[in-house]
Amino acid sequence: MFLNTWLLPFALLAVTTIIAFPLSRYLAWVMDGKYRAPRLFRWCEARLDSGPQNWKEYTASLLIFCTLLFALGFAILVAQPWMPLNPDGKWMLAPSTIFHSAISFMTNTNLQHYSGDQHLSNFSQIFFLLPNMFLSAAVGFCALTAIVRAFRGEKLVGNFFVDMWRVVVYMFVPASFIIGVIFLQQGSPMTLESFAHVSTLESPSVQQTIVVGPVAAVEPIKMLGTNGGGFYGMNSAHPFENPTGLSNFLNTMAMMLFPFMLVLMYGRMLGRLRHAVVVFSVMLLLMAGTMVWSIYYDTLKPNPGFTGDPVARTYEIPSASAPGGKRIVTLPAVAGLPLDQHLGNLEGKEMRFGTSAGATYAAVTVDVTCGAVNSEHDSLNPIAAISPMVGMWLNCVFGGKGVGMINMLLYIIIGIFVAGMMVGRTPEYLGRKIGAREVKLALIALLVHPIMILGPTGLFAATDWGLKAVSNPGPHGFSQMVYQFSSASANNGSAFDGLGVTYGLANNPSPAPEAIPWDIASGLVMLFSRFLPIVAPIAMAAYLGAKKSAPFGLGTLRDDTGTFGFLLLGTILIIGALLFLPVAALGPLAEHLGPIPFGG
Amino acid sequence: MLKSIAKSLWLLLFGVAICCIVYPLALLVVGQTVFPFQANGSIVKGPDGVPEGSLLIAQPFTKDEYFQPRPSAAGYNGSASSSSALAASNYALRNRVATTLGPIVKYNSGSKAGQLVAPDIEGWFARDRYQGASSIVLQWADAHNSLAQAWVAADTNHANYVNDWTKIHAEVVTQFIKNNPATPQPQPPDLAVVFFETFSKENPGKFPSAVTHADPAGKSTTVIEPVSAGTDIQSTFFDMWRQDHADADLQDLPADMLTTSASGLDPHITLQNAEYQLDRVAAKWALDTKRDAAGIRKEIEDLLQQKAFAPFDGLAGEKMINVLEVNLDLRNRFGSPS
Repeated sequence: MFLNTWLLPFALLAVTTIIAFPLSRYLAWVMDGKYRAPRLFRWCEARLDSGPQNWKEYTASLLIFCTLLFALGFAILVAQPWMPLNPDGKWMLAPSTIFHSAISFMTNTNLQHYSGDQHLSNFSQIFFLLPNMFLSAAVGFCALTAIVRAFRGEKLVGNFFVDMWRVVVYMFVPASFIIGVIFLQQGSPMTLESFAHVSTLESPSVQQTIVVGPVAAVEPIKMLGTNGGGFYGMNSAHPFENPTGLSNFLNTMAMMLFPFMLVLMYGRMLGRLRHAVVVFSVMLLLMAGTMVWSIYYDTLKPNPGFTGDPVARTYEIPSASAPGGKRIVTLPAVAGLPLDQHLGNLEGKEMRFGTSAGATYAAVTVDVTCGAVNSEHDSLNPIAAISPMVGMWLNCVFGGKGVGMINMLLYIIIGIFVAGMMVGRTPEYLGRKIGAREVKLALIALLVHPIMILGPTGLFAATDWGLKAVSNPGPHGFSQMVYQFSSASANNGSAFDGLGVTYGLANNPSPAPEAIPWDIASGLVMLFSRFLPIVAPIAMAAYLGAKKSAPFGLGTLRDDTGTFGFLLLGTILIIGALLFLPVAALGPLAEHLGPIPFGG
Repeated sequence: MLKSIAKSLWLLLFGVAICCIVYPLALLVVGQTVFPFQANGSIVKGPDGVPEGSLLIAQPFTKDEYFQPRPSAAGYNGSASSSSALAASNYALRNRVATTLGPIVKYNSGSKAGQLVAPDIEGWFARDRYQGASSIVLQWADAHNSLAQAWVAADTNHANYVNDWTKIHAEVVTQFIKNNPATPQPQPPDLAVVFFETFSKENPGKFPSAVTHADPAGKSTTVIEPVSAGTDIQSTFFDMWRQDHADADLQDLPADMLTTSASGLDPHITLQNAEYQLDRVAAKWALDTKRDAAGIRKEIEDLLQQKAFAPFDGLAGEKMINVLEVNLDLRNRFGSPS
C-alpha cells in the first residue's frame, strides 16, 4: 500500500526533472536562434519576421495577435452549425458561452462552460481547440523569452512572431506528434467520424451512442501546452482521453514537462543556471508539498461522507443574541456505512490510473495551471481540496507556459526588496538595483490575482448569481464559487463541476439559470488576469535591464544559495498564503470541521 | 500597427495550416493505418459482426448473470460523460450510497453472520420508533426535506397519490398555505413534508410504495399503497436504521461498487468488487446452465484471475478487471442469458 501510493507521484517528479535538464538546453538553443532551419521553414520565418522589436513593440504585437486569435476562435464557434463534420447538426453555443470560451482558450485557461462531447462538432474541436492550444501556450513562452532578453540588457528583445513560430514548430508540434502516437497506441480514438453506435451486450435492443473523434490530436497539446480543455466534458477522466495507467503517467508528465524546462531555460539563457536551480528547487518543494497534502487527505483517508463519527461533539459559540451570551451547537454522533474504503475516497475517481493518481493529478494540474482533471475535484475530500486551491492561489509553482516563471519573478523581486529593506541595503537583482518603479509594477501584477479572485467571489456569494448556481450545500457551495474564480484568475481551467455555469447550445430550452453572469464575469477575470501579469513584468524587466549592472561585491545578496531559496519560499508562503487564508477558512476548512453530512 | 496585424495574420495562417491540417492529418494516417482498432474507439464486435461495445466505455448490466460496472452519474451515456459532483458533506451522496446498500448489506458476525440485514430493517420500521421517538417517516421527512420532495417529484404516480391525499386533507393544505404565504397554490412537491407528516401519523409503521395487483381477469395494475415491507423501505430507511444500530457489525462492501466514477464511463471494477459479485454471478449461471455450482464458480473465478491486471503491474495500484471483457467471455462460454 505504501509503495502503491507514493511511488507514482515521486516517480513523476523524478522522471520529469531528469528529462527537463537536458531538454531545456534545446529550448534555450532554439530561442537564441542558433538553429539552422530547412528551406521551407526559413521561407515561413521570413514571412513572419518584422525585424527586432523593443519591449513596447513586442508587447503590442503580442496583444494584437491575441486579439486576432480571439476573433478567430469566436468566428469558428459561431460558424459551427454551417461547417462540416457535424452529422447531428449541432447548433452554436450560447453567445455568452462563445464569448467565454473564446477568451478562455485564447488566454490558455481552457475553463469550459460547455461540454465538448455534447456541444462541439469535430470541426470545432479541430479548428477551435487546436490553434488556440498551440498558439496561446506559445504566447506565455514568448513573454518569458522577452523578459530574459531584457534582463540581459538587450534593448531589442527579439521578434514576437518569429519566437511564436519557433515555439510552435520546433517544440510543440514534434513533441505533440510523438505523444499523440503513444496515446493512439494506448487507445485514444483518432477519426473524423463523430459517433460509434453499439448494441449493448445485455439487451441488444438498447443502443449506446459513443462520441469519438480526433481525440489523440487534442490530447498531447492539451497537456504539453498546459491548456487543459478536454475533448470530452470529463476531460482526462474520460477513458478515451486517458485510456490506461501508462497514458495517465504520460499525461501527467506531459503537463509538467514544459513548466519544468522553462525555469531551467530561464537560467541557461541568462547564464545563471545555479540561480534557476534554486528557484526550481523551491518550486519542486512546493509541488511535492501540494501532492503530499492531497494524497494524504484524499487517498489515505476515506470519504468522510460515509464514515462515522462515534461521539457527539458540542461547541459553545459566543453569541450576542443567544441567552447567556453563548449558543450551544451539538453535532450528533453518526454511524458509518459499511464500506471498505481502503483505496481512499473513490467518489469521482477512475480505477485504471492507480491508487493515488487522482490526488496526484489534482495537485499537479493546478501547480502547472494546466486545468485538465482525471478525477472530480468537487468530490475530493474537503480538506484535500485545499491543495488544488492553494496551487491556484500561489500560481507560481512552476505555473503555466512561461507565466509561472514570470509570476515567480514577481515574488523574487518582492522577496529581494523585503530582504534588502530588512538588512538596510539597496536591493539588487541580477546586479541591477530594484527601484520604486520596478516594485510598483511587480506589485500591480501580483495584486491582480487576489483582487480578481476575491472581488467577484464576494459579489457572487452575496447575490443570486452565485447562490442559485451552487449545487452543494453549506461551505462547499462557497468553495465552488471560490474555486471557479481562482481557476479563472490563475488561467487554470479546472473546476468544481457541480456549479451551474453551463448554458449549452443557444437553442437549449432549459439552461442553468445563472449561466450568463458566470460566462461574462469569469471571461473578464481571465482576460485581466492573463494580460496584466504579462505586460507589467515585461515593462519591469525592460526598466530593470536598462540599468547599469553593478559589479558583484561582498554586499551583494547571492541569488544562488539555499538561503535565497528559503527567503523566496517564505515570501511566497507569507504573501501568497495569507491573502487567501480567510476564504480557505470559510470554504474547505469549515466543511472539513463539519458537520458532515451538512443539512438534509 | 498595420505591420503587426499583417504579421499576426501570417502567423494565424501558418498556425491553422500546421495545427489544424498537417498535424492532425499525420496522426489520422498513423491512427487509421497502424492502430485502426484503437483509432475507431476500441469497438468489439459480436459473432454476427454487430458492434457490441467499446472496451473502454462502461455499459449498463443489470442481469444477475453478469458482473456489474460501477454506478454511473452519466447513466452510461457514451455521448455525455458526467460525474456526480457531489461533495462529501452533501447528504445526497450519503443517501445515494445508503439506499443502494440497504437491500444488499449482510451481517458480518454474530448469530446472523452472512444473513441480509433487510428483514431486520423492515421489523424495526414496523415498530415505528427512531432515536427514542415515534413516527419514523415523519422524522425522515423533517430531517430530509429535499428527499421527501424528490420522492413526490420522482414519479407521476407519487404526485397523483399526494394529489388524492390533498382532497381528503383540505385542512392540512389550508394550514400549509397559512404558514407559507409565498406559496398560495402549492404543488404536490411543495406539500411533500406535510404530506409525510400526516401520512406517518395515520399509517404508523408504513410507507407509500408501488404495489402490483392482479385482478381476476389477469390484468395487473400498479397502485401506491401504504406498505410495511419491501425494497423501498429497506433502501430509504437503511441509514436511519444504521443510526439506531450503530453497534451492528456489518460486512463492508468494496467502495468502488457504490461510488460513481469521474467520467461515469469507467470500464473497470476492482478484483475485490468482482469477487464480491462472484457468488451471485456463479449461482445464476449454474441455474441457467443446470451445471454443478461449485464447478462453475471455480471456472468463473479462474477467468477473473486470468483477466485481472493492475496499473504498472501492481506498482501503482490494485488489481482490477474490465467488466465488458469478462462479461463477453461469460456470454461466449455459456450463451446469452434469457
